[in-house]
Amino acid sequence: MSSVSYGGYGGGGVRTSASVWRGWDRFDFVMVFSALTLVLIGLLLIYSGSLSFYDGPLTSFASPVFKQVIFACVGITAMLVVSKVDYHYLTHYAWVMYAAGIISLVAILAVGQTAYGSTRWFDLGPIQVQPSEFAKLATILALARYFSEHGGDARDLKTLLISLAIVTPVSALVFVEPDLGTSIVFFAIWLGVVVVAGVSRRHLLIMGAIFLAVFPFIWTFAIADYQVERVSVLVDSNEDSLGAGYNVNQSKIAVGSGEWLGKGWKNGDQTQLGYLKVATKDFIFSLLSEEFGFVGCMGVFGLYILLLMRGVRAAQIAGDPAGQLVAVGIVMLILMQTFINVAVNLSIFPVTGIPLPFVSQGGSSLVSLFISLGILQSVVMRHRAYRQT
Amino acid sequence: MSILDEGFRAPGGSSRNRPHGNLRVLRIAVLGMFLVLGIRLGQMQIVDGASYAERSRENHIVQRNILPTRGLITDRNGELLVENVGVYSATILPEALPESEAARYLIYLKLQEVIGVSPLEVKVRVDDAIEAGRDYIAIKIADNLPKAKALELDEASVEMPGVSLSITPGRRYVGGPEFSHILGYIGPQFAEDAARLKGLNYQLNEPIGKDGLESRYESDLRGTVGFTAVEQDAFGHQIAALQSRDPVPGDSLKLALDAGLQRYVGQLLEDSLADSSGTWGDAKVAAVVVMDPNTGEVLAMNSIPTYDNNIYSEIKNRGSEYDQLITDKRDILLNKALSPAAPGSTFKLITSAAGLEEGSISPNTSRFVGCLLEIKGENDVLYEYPDWRCHNQQFDVRSAIAWSSNVFMYLTAGGDLTTTRGLGGDVESSGAILATWARRFGLNKPTGIDLDGENAGRIPDPGWKKRTYVGAGFNPGENEWFIGDTYNTAVGQGDVLATPIQIARMTAAVANGGKLVTPHLVNQVIAPDGTVVRTIGSGAQAINVSPAVLQVVREGMWGSVNYGAGSRAAIPQAIVAGKTGTAEFYKPNGAKSQHAWFTGFAPYEKPEVVVTVYFDIGVGGDKAAPVAAKILQYYFENVKR
Repeated sequence: MSSVSYGGYGGGGVRTSASVWRGWDRFDFVMVFSALTLVLIGLLLIYSGSLSFYDGPLTSFASPVFKQVIFACVGITAMLVVSKVDYHYLTHYAWVMYAAGIISLVAILAVGQTAYGSTRWFDLGPIQVQPSEFAKLATILALARYFSEHGGDARDLKTLLISLAIVTPVSALVFVEPDLGTSIVFFAIWLGVVVVAGVSRRHLLIMGAIFLAVFPFIWTFAIADYQVERVSVLVDSNEDSLGAGYNVNQSKIAVGSGEWLGKGWKNGDQTQLGYLKVATKDFIFSLLSEEFGFVGCMGVFGLYILLLMRGVRAAQIAGDPAGQLVAVGIVMLILMQTFINVAVNLSIFPVTGIPLPFVSQGGSSLVSLFISLGILQSVVMRHRAYRQT
Repeated sequence: MSILDEGFRAPGGSSRNRPHGNLRVLRIAVLGMFLVLGIRLGQMQIVDGASYAERSRENHIVQRNILPTRGLITDRNGELLVENVGVYSATILPEALPESEAARYLIYLKLQEVIGVSPLEVKVRVDDAIEAGRDYIAIKIADNLPKAKALELDEASVEMPGVSLSITPGRRYVGGPEFSHILGYIGPQFAEDAARLKGLNYQLNEPIGKDGLESRYESDLRGTVGFTAVEQDAFGHQIAALQSRDPVPGDSLKLALDAGLQRYVGQLLEDSLADSSGTWGDAKVAAVVVMDPNTGEVLAMNSIPTYDNNIYSEIKNRGSEYDQLITDKRDILLNKALSPAAPGSTFKLITSAAGLEEGSISPNTSRFVGCLLEIKGENDVLYEYPDWRCHNQQFDVRSAIAWSSNVFMYLTAGGDLTTTRGLGGDVESSGAILATWARRFGLNKPTGIDLDGENAGRIPDPGWKKRTYVGAGFNPGENEWFIGDTYNTAVGQGDVLATPIQIARMTAAVANGGKLVTPHLVNQVIAPDGTVVRTIGSGAQAINVSPAVLQVVREGMWGSVNYGAGSRAAIPQAIVAGKTGTAEFYKPNGAKSQHAWFTGFAPYEKPEVVVTVYFDIGVGGDKAAPVAAKILQYYFENVKR
């Protein structure tokens, strides 16, 4: 690793021997603590939510809880490794990763596995890989790389438009999977990055106005039928309570019936009696709301806010624009995924397949989120070292 | 807040590469988004939480009704007239079928093998239901399966997910077709009644009484629905039983009817429809009421032709038979004992009683009757009112009843406008008083028998004629009441209509000394444990008529059977008293015809049974009286009281 010398970090041989331990004093344990707490809460919820379909031993590869623990371990390891990697090394290869991301997204449309009407992952034997998870990080790195080479600045209209051109292809490819939620996440990342990179308010307003003008046409011609159905289901979920609106309705009942303190762990009848579908994945927040109530949800919100604020801190103390923008991108990534997932559970956003970060059952998401944290740690751990040169 | 927001400022001032981003926006975004989520969550969990909690409970607690066993119906001797049976049908629940089309088709093929339904038809119906979003509602694919097939299907359904055998309560009427008009039948609810029945806690698949006693005593026969409340998961599996209440079987009905008599009368009437004399042609319909004059208990009530009321539950297999039944010109489903016809001379019992009470005749009034009565009308036009034959003899009221003299009754009711006074001072009041007496004897209103669809009959009077004989088809002044109207009414002709049950009740009043009883088919409503819930009484009302007057009328009736027009009703077992009736009417094609009636009671000294016989075509004394005699013979020989 020390062979990579970029931007003045990781210099002489004397330092190399000590570099394994270098920076750990600045490692953000608060951030990791909040993430791990969320994972633990997730394990409790997955256990409760899987009771209705899994009754085998806990220590089995068939157990959803056990699998999640394994993925968490893989994720944590990946996070530690990535923390140690200089993020400049990552931004250096940003374009390569970006190209790989695009190719994998194109490939998935050709050969990917389809479920619930959308094609989102590759089946690699025992595990499934979602290239969009990888593409998210690649895009964040590409944006950071691009802006850092242009003075870390989005004030210039040309720079702004080129950055938009970086995001648009990935977002469009995800959109046609179709995965409306993730394509919105891509644009939110871009928006967060350009705002922090100092975009001109005027440019942003004009682009927003153009978007609003074009939106009806996108709605008519581009939004896939399934999305229209999901969106219209949100408008009147009672219309067809056994059809597409079924889970929206059941999740509303699950959330609402939790009231202040919830029905207690393993006692949510919406979940335990199978009325709430995918209760350990996209609708795990409904399960949380039902069993732990408003108070439990506020606790989880607190953990997310803590985690995200530590991410903002990473952006704040980042040593250079690249690090800052990488951190901003990752904060936006986690924030938007959390927001959209919870909003779906609370029936204020159409149903879209975005898991709740760190909590939902699912390996790809969990591992890639820990890798994101690793990158954030990398930024945090290097801020002072960078400045010293 | 330091843990959240550890600001960092480089002590050494800005370097070339110092990031310059404004991160406050990002912090606001984080807090703002969670604020939005928090507000929405608070709205759902705290503001609307209670109502969502209620919906959550409703979601998984399912109440299932358990249908009670319907009450039975027996005759007066305890003979069972109806049995409860299970009606087996095959149902298919589309959402429980396997996913793959091939697996589904295998099931359809298996169904064809077991119960013989067309796989294609089943497939179309399943696909339609899925298309329409009704895949959670079971479809009935075969009805009224024989028990053997039902058992076979039940066994086979283990390997056919989505297919099940459903058993709904049904009835088998075992008494014979003679009971069909009385018992009625049960059947599925009509859509227009469903809402009302739901209010009474009826399940949609619960059959209800449709006609006859099944309908009239529905609330007694039905019983109380039980229920089980179970906690159920989203897949319909029962998790836990929460609460239950056993159904209470319905109450049974013990009828006043004697099953043997009912069957005997039914067969007798069928055999008597054909006309032996050949004068008037065969009778097409007939009705009989056999009743206890003191209590109103109906011992037999027949309407001929009859039908098999099991046809309703077997309609799928007996469709053509049913079509024939409902298109038959004789209106088979209509209970003829409750349907009106001109009562003819049986009405003379009322005319006689009215005359004796109103003083237009005395028990000793004696008149010579020839062939007809001549009345001089306006402009000296002579109107002739013929008797049914040339009597050429002296009559008092008794012999006038016995020989059924029309002229004697004309004079008794209407007078002759010169020397003889009628019931009232003038033509109109005579008509009105006669109508009043007819109503006192229970005509012109339903008898209150415990069956639906009873006809009230019709008694004309001056007011009624004034209202009715106007408008298109009537000349001005035609709605006036003429003496001829009084005459017609006095002999049960013209506009008079009465049902056999009304005539039987009127006869009972004469026989029992002036009590107007309420006829009833049911004697007792009996709880499943055998206790009597309710006894149906006679509901008798006294008619304001003196016993002496009725005694005179009874003497006339005795005369009819013992020397007069109704002599063919006499039997060796008891002294019978009665009155024949032969009512002229015009068939729809314009041809003149006659209804045959006989109404009487026995034994003469201590009446215990009233018999009323009606044939739509025939002569009272020849057609109805002999039938009455046979019925009374059977009664005295076989009916245990």
